[in-house]
Amino acid sequence: MTAFLDVLIGGVFHAAVLFLVAAGLQLVFGVQKIVNLACGSFYALGAYFGISAVKWAIAAGMPPGLFIFVLIVAGLALAVIGPVIEALLRTVYRRDEAFQLLLTFALVLMFQDILRFFWGANPQELGDLVMSYGKLSAGGVQVPTYNVLVIVASIAIAVGIGAFLQRTRFGRILRATAENREMSQALGVNVTWINAAVFTLGTVLGTVGGALVVPTAAASLDMPVELVVEAFAVVVIGGLGSMRGALTGALIVGIMRALAIRYYAELEMLAIYIVVIAILIARPAGLHGKPIE
Amino acid sequence: MKNGRRQVLKAGAALAASPFLSFPALAQNTPIRVGIIAPKAGIAGTIGECGLRGTQFAVEHINANGGIAGRKVELVIEEETNPKDSIERLRKLVLQDKVDCVQGIVSSGVSLAMGPAAEDMKALTIFWDGTTQDGVKETMPNKRYVFCSTDNECEAVMGSLLAIKHWKGQFKKVAGINPDYSYGRNNFAAFQALLKKYNIEHQVVADQWPKVGTTDLNSHVAALKAAQPDLVFSSLLFADLPIFMRTAHGAGLMDGKTKFVFPAAGFQHTALKKSFTPPGMIFGHNTLYFDYAKGTDLQKQFVKWYHEKTNDYPNWEADRAFFAMAVYKAGVEAAQKAKGAWPGKEDVINAMEGIKVQSLGGPGQMRKDHIAEQTFYQGITTHDNKYDFPTLGTVDVMYSDQLQKGTGQDFWKWIETANIKL
Repeated sequence: MTAFLDVLIGGVFHAAVLFLVAAGLQLVFGVQKIVNLACGSFYALGAYFGISAVKWAIAAGMPPGLFIFVLIVAGLALAVIGPVIEALLRTVYRRDEAFQLLLTFALVLMFQDILRFFWGANPQELGDLVMSYGKLSAGGVQVPTYNVLVIVASIAIAVGIGAFLQRTRFGRILRATAENREMSQALGVNVTWINAAVFTLGTVLGTVGGALVVPTAAASLDMPVELVVEAFAVVVIGGLGSMRGALTGALIVGIMRALAIRYYAELEMLAIYIVVIAILIARPAGLHGKPIE
Repeated sequence: MKNGRRQVLKAGAALAASPFLSFPALAQNTPIRVGIIAPKAGIAGTIGECGLRGTQFAVEHINANGGIAGRKVELVIEEETNPKDSIERLRKLVLQDKVDCVQGIVSSGVSLAMGPAAEDMKALTIFWDGTTQDGVKETMPNKRYVFCSTDNECEAVMGSLLAIKHWKGQFKKVAGINPDYSYGRNNFAAFQALLKKYNIEHQVVADQWPKVGTTDLNSHVAALKAAQPDLVFSSLLFADLPIFMRTAHGAGLMDGKTKFVFPAAGFQHTALKKSFTPPGMIFGHNTLYFDYAKGTDLQKQFVKWYHEKTNDYPNWEADRAFFAMAVYKAGVEAAQKAKGAWPGKEDVINAMEGIKVQSLGGPGQMRKDHIAEQTFYQGITTHDNKYDFPTLGTVDVMYSDQLQKGTGQDFWKWIETANIKL
């Protein structure tokens, strides 16, 4: 039982990370109909910037235990890049999807050089800072407290986005725009502003996610591509454009990966993509394949 | 008139043949150009930078002491990336920059492809690391212009031997977490082959193969913990090693009696903080252990120089780079002495075969089959030091003739038959 719980917790932690990347991807696609490959780059940017912010804050005398707040603020501060990139993407909204994919892929490559320029080529990390939060133990199961905080943060973000989309006026406008952009525009919705706001929100989901997760891992130039590969499995399984799908897809991918690693490590990717193929055949729109709930 | 022109031509030919105007004599007045190809980005970026520091130190040292046979050394540095682009840079160094020797390369993937290209170009090339082996099978048995590092599996062989030496009878269930490419696969296979050779009864209860660059190892650690191994053997060596250590510590994998062998920990030694890296593990520092009390003055001088420049402590790639330059210097000087004039490339190559040098980490030599032999350092870690990361409490030193196959031998047969003193 202990072994199973260890595997399950490992899977849920990975799912939490994937959800933070996939949520931004889903939100942007749901409203703007753009598959934003650069979502992984926002995640990486959040990770790098988070490390610099924490190092700066500690050097300035901040107690190390407060680093989680610095990471959240660092991730939120990167919201400033959202409107800038959205303004660039605005030029291809009406073009073929291939153009959009190429443009966002170009952004991935550009971001890689931007990260290299500011932070260098070597992986960056926060050393043993994550240890300052200690561990939680129950029976034979031990989990770093910080990992639990990341899982809780992901759940809170999922619940928060759900409530925001379902229960706020702005959320209803977003959903209406996702359903029918022209009708929303005819009813007086400022779609240009909505696009900028949604893209910025999607960006922040990635940057905050990257900043929150980096104390448990490391920031590297390879991480955007690595994450996007899995994030795509998440959105195919969950349904492109669906926030609920992002959550379900992330859980399926995270737990499938953990089980594959436990029982036959070589089949890690195969196990995930068997599910992807099965979903594509049996339910092409994904498990929650609506544009946005 | 016709006769006069012939006389002028004859005189010109005689002048050109004269030792006073020979090219070698001209060459002695110019610096020796050494091309370096090393990674500056990606997972091997840190390692490449450390190697470049080793080269920089070697060149400063050589130039301050009169150069190589009286000629100063000048570096032309290029970046190691993928095999195709790295080979293009080799061509550029040889054809455009006209370097006398090329050194560098960390990745086996690049060295495998670059070896034949360097042979085709007759470019004198000394690899820092990587080997010209496909897995453990030598792909270039008859090298002429290419000189290789020690076998990549040396550290795994030594780590396995130390596990047997120190912990025989204390483990039965073994697990592995090794990088998912030939290096990791061969290392774990070598570990098992050595257990078999020394009749250590064992059972592999888990083998994990994270892809290089994986930053979430929670599931891998959970799988290892579930298997309840007595000993974990891991040749992780890039940024994934500190992540593994943190994750394993957080999940309680290191709380019990499980023993750990990390033959390549020396690549990340300063990132493995005491707070999540318990003492009592086997760590490999390969050919340079920066804190070796019995280290030479040269090593201590280098470690001090490196620390002043980087506020960090060097890993073994610095030694590999220094070794490459030392072998080249010794080869040129031996050839010059033997010839009594400035030597050609073939003379230098002949002189380098079998030459012995003192590297940062200790004595080494270049075998006649162009494979390096060097001194290796591993041991059991301690927290009893002035650093925030573990160092070696007990240091075992082995020369690579005990750790790598001989000329033309099969690696797996060598493991079976080698007479190794534990």
